Amino acid sequence: MKITVDRDACIGAGQCALVAGAVFDQDDEGLVVLLNVSPGEDMHAFVHKAAKLCPASAIAVED
Amino acid sequence: MEQTSAAQCPMHEVRRIPNDGTPLCPSPTFAIWREEGAATPLEYSDGHQGLIINRYELAKMILEDKRFSQTPARMPAHHGEELTAQYGLSSGSDLDLGNVLGLDGEQHARIRRTILNRYSVRSARGYEADMKAIVAQQLKHLLAQPTPVDLTKHYAQPISAAGHVRVLGIPEQFRQEYSQLFVGESTTDEKVEFIRRVIAVKKDCLAEDVLSDLLRSDLLVPEIEGLSLSLFVSGRDSVAYMIATCMTALLNNPDQLKALRDDPTLIMGGMEEFMRVGAMFLTLFPRTATEDLELGGVRISAGQSVSVSPVAANHDPAQFPDPDKFDLSRDAFGHVGFGHGIHGCVGQQVARVEIREGVMQLIQGIPTLYLVHAEQNEPGPFAHPVATYEAGEVIVGWN
Repeated sequence: MKITVDRDACIGAGQCALVAGAVFDQDDEGLVVLLNVSPGEDMHAFVHKAAKLCPASAIAVED
Repeated sequence: MEQTSAAQCPMHEVRRIPNDGTPLCPSPTFAIWREEGAATPLEYSDGHQGLIINRYELAKMILEDKRFSQTPARMPAHHGEELTAQYGLSSGSDLDLGNVLGLDGEQHARIRRTILNRYSVRSARGYEADMKAIVAQQLKHLLAQPTPVDLTKHYAQPISAAGHVRVLGIPEQFRQEYSQLFVGESTTDEKVEFIRRVIAVKKDCLAEDVLSDLLRSDLLVPEIEGLSLSLFVSGRDSVAYMIATCMTALLNNPDQLKALRDDPTLIMGGMEEFMRVGAMFLTLFPRTATEDLELGGVRISAGQSVSVSPVAANHDPAQFPDPDKFDLSRDAFGHVGFGHGIHGCVGQQVARVEIREGVMQLIQGIPTLYLVHAEQNEPGPFAHPVATYEAGEVIVGWN
């Protein structure tokens, strides 16, 4: 799995950190930070969910 | 009276928001409209004919689309209700520069950026201990009341006010006055005058909170005041509404209450289900198309306003199977109970913590809690012209 985040597109809604807190966080600007570029398989479903919930389409995931 | 052919055609019949639903049991009209189409013609109080959006997919598309503006601030017309458009900031004021719900594009982004940090998931986690303490203190107050007692007045509203005071960083000496002005009735002018006094004091005691961040930022004074007004108002009533509505939902559904008591971890996903079935906004603040466009097969003209309905979208069976069933174990993520997109609720992560604590401490602290009467179980007047439900009295007792 390859994850990329677009901090310019991010609007700080926090959906990713809410559903996949082991992979995504928000920094002091409230914007997305990728904590783990290649999370284990147990996290994949949560990562996909985070990408789907993002209101700014700021998360891209390749399996 | 002679009717035009357009008025007789069901697809062109302009409708008003139905007022025969309750927070936990939406008007059946929404389901009928949703079956007819993703959008339905809607009448606005200025005579404008816009659209109400009934289906989930189109709702999300519109809320993510930058071709819509937050202005003009039209309000939907209502059935037999005298509601004025006095919501938020008075128009024509330079405080509008900071009114996040009325701004688009760069100015909106500039204002919103200054506060994102204090409303992040990480920050929300940091407030948890304080929120637990606020709720615990209010539970003690509630238990000291003679029963039956109104949960909204003695529990939900004081928690939401204290939560706002904490996150915004309103100095202690203003706490009481904040509740009087923002839980009770007051004019916009009175609110602005209060905010100016709070800011004058706050300037000399900056800390780690929203107001301090605003005062440290490069925002102009009217922007700071305008944004403060938005933040002092927004969410204050919604958090109280949600605590009252979550409790009504649980007390109406003893099986769900039991399930949550038996397994408190249910609250994490269950919070989303509460937001889905109990959404406060029948329609969000209208968006107005800045150009002619077609979305999901629906044509929207430049200048036409659309009102996305979280209540309708959250009950769309295409997204949430068996949508009228309240089920804390379902996957309700993706609901639009906090809105969605760039104007989605900025305080939603903090709200989740407050509502969760408010619900969990109450059901665990009072095992014999029972419902005497909830006003919101019957249709009532909308709280705001944009069309929101009202918490109403939730009268409870215990043994």
